[in-house]
Amino acid sequence: MSASVGGVGSTIHSHLFFRSLYQPAAAFGELSRREPAPLGVFFGHSLWLLLLPPVFAYVGGANLGWRLGAEQPLLLPPNELLLISVGYFLTLVFGLFSTALISRWMAATYGANASLGRHLALITMVGEPLAVASAAHLFPNVLVQVLVLIPTLIWSMNLLYRGIPIVLETPPERGMLMASSLVAWLLVAAVSLLGISMSLWVLGVGPLLGV
Amino acid sequence: MTEVAPAKVYHDTIVIRLIQYSVIWALVAMLGGVWLAAELVWPGLDFGQSWLSYGRLRPLHTNGVIFGFGVSALMATAFYSVQRTCHVPLFLPRLAWFCCHAWQLIVLLGGLSLLAGHNAGKEYAELEWPFDIAIAVVWVCFAVVFFGTIATRKIRPIYISNWFYGALIIVIAMLHIVNSLAVPVGPMRSYSLFAGAQDAVVQWWYGHNAVGFLLTGGFLGMLYYFLPKQSGRPIWSYRLSVLAFWAFVYSYIWAGPHHLHYNSVPDWVQTLGMVMSIVLLAPSWATMVNGIMTVSSAWEKLRTDPALKFIVLSLAFYGLATFEGPMMSIRSVNVVSHFTDWTIGHVHSGALGWNAMITYGTFYFMAPRLVGAELYSRRLANAHFWLALAGTMLYIVAMWAAGVSQGLLWLSVDEIGELSFDFKDIMASMNPYYILRLVAGLIFLTGTFLMAYNLYMTVRGRPAQRATVPAVAPAYGVG
Repeated sequence: MSASVGGVGSTIHSHLFFRSLYQPAAAFGELSRREPAPLGVFFGHSLWLLLLPPVFAYVGGANLGWRLGAEQPLLLPPNELLLISVGYFLTLVFGLFSTALISRWMAATYGANASLGRHLALITMVGEPLAVASAAHLFPNVLVQVLVLIPTLIWSMNLLYRGIPIVLETPPERGMLMASSLVAWLLVAAVSLLGISMSLWVLGVGPLLGV
Repeated sequence: MTEVAPAKVYHDTIVIRLIQYSVIWALVAMLGGVWLAAELVWPGLDFGQSWLSYGRLRPLHTNGVIFGFGVSALMATAFYSVQRTCHVPLFLPRLAWFCCHAWQLIVLLGGLSLLAGHNAGKEYAELEWPFDIAIAVVWVCFAVVFFGTIATRKIRPIYISNWFYGALIIVIAMLHIVNSLAVPVGPMRSYSLFAGAQDAVVQWWYGHNAVGFLLTGGFLGMLYYFLPKQSGRPIWSYRLSVLAFWAFVYSYIWAGPHHLHYNSVPDWVQTLGMVMSIVLLAPSWATMVNGIMTVSSAWEKLRTDPALKFIVLSLAFYGLATFEGPMMSIRSVNVVSHFTDWTIGHVHSGALGWNAMITYGTFYFMAPRLVGAELYSRRLANAHFWLALAGTMLYIVAMWAAGVSQGLLWLSVDEIGELSFDFKDIMASMNPYYILRLVAGLIFLTGTFLMAYNLYMTVRGRPAQRATVPAVAPAYGVG
């Protein structure tokens, strides 16, 4: 990564994203002094983080099979598993960009900074703990996912509420409202994923269902 | 010398009493819910007592929350807001008091009858015929007080919150009376006038619209009055609120058959229910956008008003629940999700995230103002907010995971088309999710206890303030 200079189009160090895992406030503060280029953020950082969950899911699903509660694991053919993992990756990319764009669209309402690069970097930082915790996919048991990902999800929500006022330079109260609006969108996106997955299963992609 | 007529005052003691009843029912009914959650983990918790069995406690939980907590809160907020939006005291205040106490008696005795095993066998309409008649009488009295107040109003426009409360009163009366039509065969026994598929269609026409007009429409009335009051801003778009009202009223009433997918009702009825459920998304989200935009310009209030946070968050969960519902009504989703715990999660994203949160926010707003005091503890209210959020999130996610697993495993077949998994084994494997749900319920209930204490300390020993009816600007006056 290039030198840490501020201003429009500046790039940001990888260590900033790493630091956001253990010193989020400091990382948010540093990000608020930069105007990173959106594509630089995506290809330099977000892309690699977004690759983690589908890769973990593929490796875990291929080696151990998904355990949904029953004795026998659900083993899918490698081709189908690959298709699902690619779909998972594309969904995450869509989720990142749509959330960043919606966040930037909301910026005008909440008096926040409208730099797309910052929004993309912030959403990446917020989602980063989830990407790391997706290592749980290596042990594809639904309960393990719930036990690992729920606390991580709460931590990520906490980062969203803390990060918006700092990175997007808006008063904490307006940031709280903006974060709540984004939570509404993210909840809808999460439940959409469930609905889309179920529709795909019924259409024949994934496990064999008697419907 | 002309005599000055004494200033008229609003009837607010009844509002305080209804809030107190509502909080008591919230504690009792939610405790019942937590007990039920624990019974699903440790079935022995019924101690062999029939009245503690799951089948009897479950309707007590749902009726207690909906009719005890929910309707008492709706009566309280309707009585509070209709006086202030009409600039007159309540019409027939003694009748209003009758509604207040008679309703609590129905919930109390009805709850006991459910524990004793008297159940009409219709979801959310379990109470037997004597209670059905009593509910209809009290509801008509509620209508007389509410519409009488509107009829005697001193201000010409009828504010949007009153349209929603009005729809709640009219539609619930219609649904309750039609769905409860039955032939009594004993003091606590009756047979429904409807049979077979017709019974199912009528039941879910009632059931879904009870959700629609009581848990959605009624609480939207609450939102439209208390959100602008709390934020100190007018509704972002009044025109949008009126448009959303009529679209909501028109589309909701058709959505019931989505509860009967792949059932013995005609295909076209199921499709109609599904299509109208999806159409419903438009008015639901119009209201959400209206609420979010109203509060977005009032962010300074968040510094001083812990109650506003509850309303902001309730809008997020309202957005989730009103999106999730139409999605789950799509047949290709419903075939997997139906009968699973996802449905329970969906109901609670609405009941905890939307209904309870907005009610809590409204109570924190009303209670101090009604007695002319500060809220006893803002710190407790803030702690309650985070407990409510954590409890709701944990509940929803645990039920999502359980529901998806159940749907997938129940329907999984092998190469020759036989079911891959045993139903009993699948349900036994749900225990960890049920423990998480129990924890979530305990967290949420703890928050409710904090609120009960906070509100009790706020109103303790203080009578209702005498709020006088203000003069109406001539431009808006009647006549």
